Amino acid sequence: MSDYDVVVIGAGNGGLTSALSLAKNGLSVLMLERHNIPGGCATSFIRGRFEFEVALHQLSGLGTEEFPGPLRNTLGELGVMDKLEFVRMDNLYRLTMPGSLDICLKADRAEAIAALKEQFPEESSNIDRFFDLLYEYCTQWIHVTMLRDPKASKDKYPLYFKYALKSTQEVFDEFFQNPQLKTVIGVYWSYQGLPPSKVTFGDFAIILWAYIEFKPWHLKGGSQALSSTLLNTYLEAGGDVRFNCGAKKIMVSNGRVTGVITEEGDEISTDRVVSNAGTATTYVELIEPEHIPNQLLRELGTMTLGTSFVSIFMGFDQEPHQMGIDQTTNFITTSPDADHVWDRSKTLSTPEWLLFSCYDVDDPDFSPKGASQGSLVTISYAKPWLSVPPHQYHEIKYAYAQKMVDTLAGVFPAIKDHIEEIEVGTPLTHMRYLGHPGGSAYGFDRYAKDTEFFIESRSPIKGLYIAGAWPGMGGFQPSIQSGVTIAKSIQKSMETQGGERS
Amino acid sequence: MISRNLHNDLEGYAEIKEEIAVLKKYGTDFTLQKGEVARIINLHHPKKLSLRISQIIHETESTKTFRLVSSTRPLPPFQAGQYINLFVEVDGVRTSRPYSISSPPSQTAYYDITVRRVAEGFVSTYLLDEVKVGDIFQSTSPSGQFYHNPLFHGENLVFLAGGSGITPFMSMIREITDRGLNRQVQLIYGNRINDDIIFNKEMEERSACCDNVTVHSVLSEPADGYNGLSGFITAELIKERVGNLDDKMFYVCGPAAMYTFVLGELKKLGIPKRKIRMEVFGPPPDIKSQPGWPEDVSINDRFDVKMKGKTTIKAKAGEPLMNSLERAGIVVTASCRSGECSLCRTKLVSGKVFQPRGVKLRKSDRAFGYIHPCMAYPLENLEIII
Repeated sequence: MSDYDVVVIGAGNGGLTSALSLAKNGLSVLMLERHNIPGGCATSFIRGRFEFEVALHQLSGLGTEEFPGPLRNTLGELGVMDKLEFVRMDNLYRLTMPGSLDICLKADRAEAIAALKEQFPEESSNIDRFFDLLYEYCTQWIHVTMLRDPKASKDKYPLYFKYALKSTQEVFDEFFQNPQLKTVIGVYWSYQGLPPSKVTFGDFAIILWAYIEFKPWHLKGGSQALSSTLLNTYLEAGGDVRFNCGAKKIMVSNGRVTGVITEEGDEISTDRVVSNAGTATTYVELIEPEHIPNQLLRELGTMTLGTSFVSIFMGFDQEPHQMGIDQTTNFITTSPDADHVWDRSKTLSTPEWLLFSCYDVDDPDFSPKGASQGSLVTISYAKPWLSVPPHQYHEIKYAYAQKMVDTLAGVFPAIKDHIEEIEVGTPLTHMRYLGHPGGSAYGFDRYAKDTEFFIESRSPIKGLYIAGAWPGMGGFQPSIQSGVTIAKSIQKSMETQGGERS
Repeated sequence: MISRNLHNDLEGYAEIKEEIAVLKKYGTDFTLQKGEVARIINLHHPKKLSLRISQIIHETESTKTFRLVSSTRPLPPFQAGQYINLFVEVDGVRTSRPYSISSPPSQTAYYDITVRRVAEGFVSTYLLDEVKVGDIFQSTSPSGQFYHNPLFHGENLVFLAGGSGITPFMSMIREITDRGLNRQVQLIYGNRINDDIIFNKEMEERSACCDNVTVHSVLSEPADGYNGLSGFITAELIKERVGNLDDKMFYVCGPAAMYTFVLGELKKLGIPKRKIRMEVFGPPPDIKSQPGWPEDVSINDRFDVKMKGKTTIKAKAGEPLMNSLERAGIVVTASCRSGECSLCRTKLVSGKVFQPRGVKLRKSDRAFGYIHPCMAYPLENLEIII
């Protein structure tokens, strides 16, 4: 008899959804969380009169009521959809290249194409051809992977087989001439962490297509509203939770999970653990090395830690429109070369790519009346930060942040006179709060070799499941859905074991 | 996902397989990084510090500085103005108090904290009367939001201090003068009488030698024959001393009553919110006079506080819940004890608490019943998850 059917380590998105899904189906579940609130990345914090959103910029996959996306269905199944309030964003993004380009793309195929053609008339037919490919590829992808067509083949779905593993850059080069056009179309690479030359078209296409079709969404109350709602629903479903209580060890015997030891030294017996602590942390910190199969170590060794961020949280004493901010999602890049931008993100040189999200544009209640907030972010790998001597950290952090603020002020000059709060988080900050090596927010880098075609998602340790961003794509939607997928596979395995329950 | 036997038909599949085979031979050995995250975090922000008192400096009749050195690892860096929360055990009760570091961050061989006697102060009395050199304490790492942020504070700073509220400013002034930083500082420092002025001599010396630091001392109850500034830190006095107010950033730190007064004066001067930085200051001295305190609850009322899966304790309405928990031997993680840092955040399952204005609760905390026990006063029987 085990203490619990399942112990979930970490109340991030993936931990919460797996715990809730399991508890709703009558399993006894204990969730351990080392912080005092649920959420992981999906949280907020207060400075002055502002509550800053930490991680969520554009929620993907939700879709509308008439045309629901997979996330809407998942949240519906979890019983939280009607407890949350979403605001639809009309735009994908505005992209500014100071001095040379300023364009806004709507989250609508025809309108996005029209805006691109207006800016790049000489490439009109290329733009049409590209969007035809994007949509046709995604349609084939749905048939092959979502609908699991048993007759899937290279002849039946040629685009899927041709483009799934191709680099995004290759596809851009095949269709477009103007490097600026490639930059505009490719902006969402930054939501994945690798530049178009390194991310597969399969990964990239789905993101761009899904944002257009299912629209980007903002969540009222920010991502903490989602985390707290998931937790409350989990408690109502009879789940147990311990806050301020991390896991110290996952106990394994003969290749099977047998329990968890908490940081306080409590031993909890269970046959199944869902770890939302990240793949690297789970295998390196939580499980004794003798229980890790050699094969698994070699597989892990092929991967690299994904990017972290420098995040600047800014509170303003004016409303967005008073400072000339009229879009929620603003990308700013000072280089048309994404490879160069990405190389920079491994140094402390001036970052050449920024995302500035001003949530108050689409949700005027987000900040106090008459005020607004912006989240200014750049991708930044932890490595250069790790070698900063602690006594120089603050100075280097501010110097780096100053460069980001200066670039932003180049586009929105009025902001400089209206800053009421600024907090800066670096990869070291994210490392501290998430406990992930490299402060990685998306898990491992996701090159072609790291996609589902090459990676075994099941753990070789029986009873161990890894939820969250690490085993798949990063971001909110994949993490939320990973937990539900895991819960389903746990239930399936328990059914086949013939009701081996505590 | 497609079935595995179709993978080979994906263009580029075979090449990537080869790449993986090579990487399996020459890839990273992540097991070598065991403990690395914790090691790096501990360089910057360890959860706990172990501190030994290396020196006790007599500052004024009612104030001492305690010099704290690390008894284990090097002390982490901090920003001038930040505090540590010092854990103490007094009369068998484990509790803690936040103290601003008064020494400059330009060195971390030690942290100084400067403690003034508080009337009936549970902890200050203990520190001033009983603690001796060699005693060992635990504390949190330095934290807090009251520091110079170069991204928007500018170089022209006005410090408004009252009484022991001088301590974070002392750290800032020491850093600015020691390192020759290009910041203009005007300190307006209010005290009751001359003998109360902490760091009087050192500040005079520093302002005498460094043109960018000016000190204006103000006494509210000066002795006969005193010819300096007297009264409170009023709008007129600020205007007259500081001159041009437009490009200044105002920092305020002092006792609770001073905030209400000084913020009113700054408002009279038309200083916008974004130009005022305030240090937090702990539970208000008289909770029942706070706006919103319900008339039908007396501060001496006592309620049951049930901890889910644990014991039930009694808690007084007129005292922060955290104090009652500590008296019952229940340790809650804490740092600011002022409702700001959120380290003590606790889920309230049922019952009602009073949380004075200024407690930094998020929308979701209000919606889902999270409280900060350091600034939450029970108004009914409660159930909490700890």
